[in-house]
Amino acid sequence: MIYTLTLTLAHRPEVLERVLRVVRHRGFKVTKMNMQLEDGKTASLDMALESERAIELLTTQLEKLIDVIECRVVSLESVNAEKVAS
Amino acid sequence: MKQGQMMRGADAVIKVLAAHGVTNIFGYPGGAIMPIYDALYGAPVEHLLSRHEQGAAFAALGYARASGKTGVCFATSGPGATNLVTSLADALLDSVPLVAITGQVSTAVIGTDAFQEIDVLGLSLSCTKHSFMVTEMDELIPTLYKAFEVAASGRPGPVLVDIPKDIQIGMLEYKTPLQERSSEPEFDEERVDAALSLLRQAKQPMLYVGGGVGMASAVDQLRAFIDATGVPSVATLKGLGSIANDSPGYLGMLGMHGSKAANIAVQECDLLIVVGARFDDRVTGRLASFAEHAKVIHLDIDSAELGKLRLPDVAIAGDLRQILPALCTSLEIAPWQDEVAQLKREHSWNYDRPGELIFAPAMLNRLADKLPEDSVVCCDVGQHQMWVAQHMWFRKPEDHLSSAGLGTMGFGLPAAIGAKVSRPDATVVAVSGDGSFMMNVQELTTIKRRKLPVKILLIDNQKLGMVKQWQQLFFEERYSETDLSDNPDFVTMASAFDIPGRTITTTDQVEAALDHLVNCEGPYLLHVRIDDAHNVWPLVPPGASNRDMMEEMDKQT
Repeated sequence: MIYTLTLTLAHRPEVLERVLRVVRHRGFKVTKMNMQLEDGKTASLDMALESERAIELLTTQLEKLIDVIECRVVSLESVNAEKVAS
Repeated sequence: MKQGQMMRGADAVIKVLAAHGVTNIFGYPGGAIMPIYDALYGAPVEHLLSRHEQGAAFAALGYARASGKTGVCFATSGPGATNLVTSLADALLDSVPLVAITGQVSTAVIGTDAFQEIDVLGLSLSCTKHSFMVTEMDELIPTLYKAFEVAASGRPGPVLVDIPKDIQIGMLEYKTPLQERSSEPEFDEERVDAALSLLRQAKQPMLYVGGGVGMASAVDQLRAFIDATGVPSVATLKGLGSIANDSPGYLGMLGMHGSKAANIAVQECDLLIVVGARFDDRVTGRLASFAEHAKVIHLDIDSAELGKLRLPDVAIAGDLRQILPALCTSLEIAPWQDEVAQLKREHSWNYDRPGELIFAPAMLNRLADKLPEDSVVCCDVGQHQMWVAQHMWFRKPEDHLSSAGLGTMGFGLPAAIGAKVSRPDATVVAVSGDGSFMMNVQELTTIKRRKLPVKILLIDNQKLGMVKQWQQLFFEERYSETDLSDNPDFVTMASAFDIPGRTITTTDQVEAALDHLVNCEGPYLLHVRIDDAHNVWPLVPPGASNRDMMEEMDKQT
């Protein structure tokens, strides 16, 4: 499955590592990513992810991170990974 | 606290700890944390010097688990911090509130491979609930307050605060930060109705209780639920002590080394009520066949656990102290209660063993009966740990400390030190094996230093017993690196730390030796040689269903 997530993060120097570690450890592959520092305090992160696992297994873990303010699943698509990544 | 007072960052650290009611710290000094140790000098906070940072953090864990308070430990940068990693991981897997404070090299040299510099924040990401590195003076106090709040709230866990040396020696104005009040978790009333409906429809309900009940201080509410519903029950390793041992439908521990009655009852139930537990693989055996005909009600503070491994029919995230009373209802399940009682009778433990050699399960069962009401038993990891879980009984979950999720050998001795510090009036027994004991044996010095009356029951089969058991059963008896027949003389070793002790080898010595261990003043080591042929039974083989338990096949000697 291909998923698209949008996260709002409290910006800390390590926040990206923190999120990506959970993504990897819980069995998801990042195929596309964009992070934008918003106002010095928050950052938005868009990710396209690929996994055989249900997205809730990831979002519930991400929502537990103290620096994750919001985690939204933008789309769920059963399409080929390359199409989204390109 | 006098607001606005100017002080060093290091002094502010000690003052924040005092403001959180911290009376005991476990740690080990070193270069990058010297200003904090300087601030500690003469401060009204007691510091217990361990002899390895892992021992310090395990002692803080034992302190926290035996008392319900947040444990605190200190370590320096580099190797001091890396030595904490195992204990932090242990606290994460077992949801223990812990605040670890590490010194770091000064901010100006971070990233230059300075002496004793390692990226501790990076290391902490996978072994803490949350972590911080303080880089601005005005962040120090709010960060420490946040660390205590995160460690103890929701599902508890370890929090690391890395403090560079320049932040420790820099000056700041002491101000108590405005505290964010964490909102009380609320649960959905409609789901309570759905759960009640499932409960009333069930003919064969079972209660599966985990460590979350003790962590939530919900033991009273759980017992009231059992009294109201009459639902038979089982517990996980961390759940032991939550259910009264004489509760009629209580079948003990379930899972890989659970009782046969517990596993059969769970396999046969039509409704599984999961409270503060997480379908760990050591509990479920083959997940697909675990309680396969049962509907599931899952209650937990951590919503990420709901549906992680088994989709529940009704899931309620929230405070167990509020949810459990809402589910109290009377049920008509007398035939099932009778069936469970029959299972309990059929599969009760048999402690009769011919011969002179000591049978550890029988000895541990006798120890449980001899311990006074206020007691704590701390385990290491391996065969003795499972025998403790199977054959001892506990009044409260905080009376049984065992490294459950991470399964860390070396946990028991330092955890017992921490437990004794937090509950000085309790009888504290560290039950260890000859493999595990050597993993943090340096902490005997900590016992000596404080003359802590920790009792050590060392069960010795001159083997890494649990690994040997698996080699015997699943690796064609190829005993690779599990022979420990060259163990040191444990009693002589203990005497070097001013800890008296003795060795026993035969069954007729057990009663008097246990009486002495429990009743003597001061620390003591009882070294018990057992038959190395004894294994832990029953056993669910790896990958099998809990229905297919292997029965005892030890040769009688």
